[in-house]
Amino acid sequence: MSRLNYLLVALLSTVTLGACTTAQPDHCAVNLRGNLGTAMNTAETKLASGCEYHFNSYFNSLLTIAEANPDTDNKMLFSDHLMRVNDMGVISRRQAEGLYNRYFNIKFVSLQGDYNTCSQTCPVRSQVMSDMQAELHDKELGLMRASADAASFYRADTLLKETDLVLEATCRACSAGKTQ
Amino acid sequence: MLPRKFTTTRPSDLIYAVTLLALLTLGAPGASAGVSGPVVRLFPTTVLEDIRETGQVAEDMENNLQEVITRLDMQEQLYTESLCQGADGDQGCDRIAKQLGATYLEMLDIMSDRLPEMERAVNNTRNSLESRLRQELGQRTTPTTLQNALLGESGSAKEAERPALRGRSGVRLSDRFKQYYNLVSTNREGASKSLAVVASDIYLDMDEAAHLIAATQEEIGRAALMEQLNQSFGMITPEMAAVVGGVKEILFGESMAENAIAAPPYAIGETDFVSPLAM
Repeated sequence: MSRLNYLLVALLSTVTLGACTTAQPDHCAVNLRGNLGTAMNTAETKLASGCEYHFNSYFNSLLTIAEANPDTDNKMLFSDHLMRVNDMGVISRRQAEGLYNRYFNIKFVSLQGDYNTCSQTCPVRSQVMSDMQAELHDKELGLMRASADAASFYRADTLLKETDLVLEATCRACSAGKTQ
Repeated sequence: MLPRKFTTTRPSDLIYAVTLLALLTLGAPGASAGVSGPVVRLFPTTVLEDIRETGQVAEDMENNLQEVITRLDMQEQLYTESLCQGADGDQGCDRIAKQLGATYLEMLDIMSDRLPEMERAVNNTRNSLESRLRQELGQRTTPTTLQNALLGESGSAKEAERPALRGRSGVRLSDRFKQYYNLVSTNREGASKSLAVVASDIYLDMDEAAHLIAATQEEIGRAALMEQLNQSFGMITPEMAAVVGGVKEILFGESMAENAIAAPPYAIGETDFVSPLAM
């Protein structure tokens, strides 16, 4: 066998082996589209069959679908979906609540705590306000664009402004108390 | 958002002090509060009394300045209608300018006399509110309960029931304090969600007004000196006109500012979905 033939055989082998390794389809990769309820079912099927680590990308895809098809029922569909995913053990109850409230509730998950405001919130007030601002963007997606619920989004926006005002006054009062 | 800090370096800063004082003291709630949320005692009788007294002091100051400001307006109108602007050397115009300057000094004197009392009243209101805010919202409230209080337990307060945030109102300063007083005296045992905003609003206004009154007092002496020098030359400076405008704005709400466009009304439908995941 000539040297050229050896090279051809080696090249052919490499190509064949490469084809074997890349031909394996990604079981979890799925292009969610169309009806939101159907897409949720598809996502849940995937999550139940070993694709738990794709939950975030599925959830974002579902939000994109909802945004393209805004409906007041969408927040209910997401609530049900998150509860089913919680029941499947893919995410915890706390995660489910966090996601639902972040996108579909007026209240801010960024403003939570069990200690007094002076000690817990005031030292990190600017960070809390920054987190709430970021959360408002998610509420805009969840409430206004996906659920067609502009009134709730505006209420969340007002709540953010009121919180800013009240925290500014309260934290200034807390600070004045320390210096006295 | 209004500026929080104010420093004075030039005589003309009095204009800014007065104007900012107007902006800060005229911010106020505009409607009565709702009736839900935990009871937070932000407005006990002592705070109410401080607010009432500040309104009384403001009214006294208005009454003292009303006549002199009216006279200033008339003199300024005469000066303008006589085409005195730029008419250097005209004896009649010089006389009007000197009269106007003298009235301006009179106004500064009255302000100088009245501002210490105003400062004391504003400081009292600020200090009593500061103490209540620290105790009630700072130490006896968690971030979670604070949010619930602001939103109201039902989360369905109508926009019309909520006090407006800070801004110009276009009403007399004393009337503004009467509004404060009426608002909090009729709702002080409930409606903490709205009263928290009202208390914060008044407190921040009073805190900044106290600083601006102090700065204004410092500048009045300098402005008076400048005007005494101007009297020698019979000049009407743009600063004089601006200071008078600022004082009128503070006391009588004569503001040219346009009202903000109203936000869409808030209303949640009866069939609103409530998720079991909701906070």
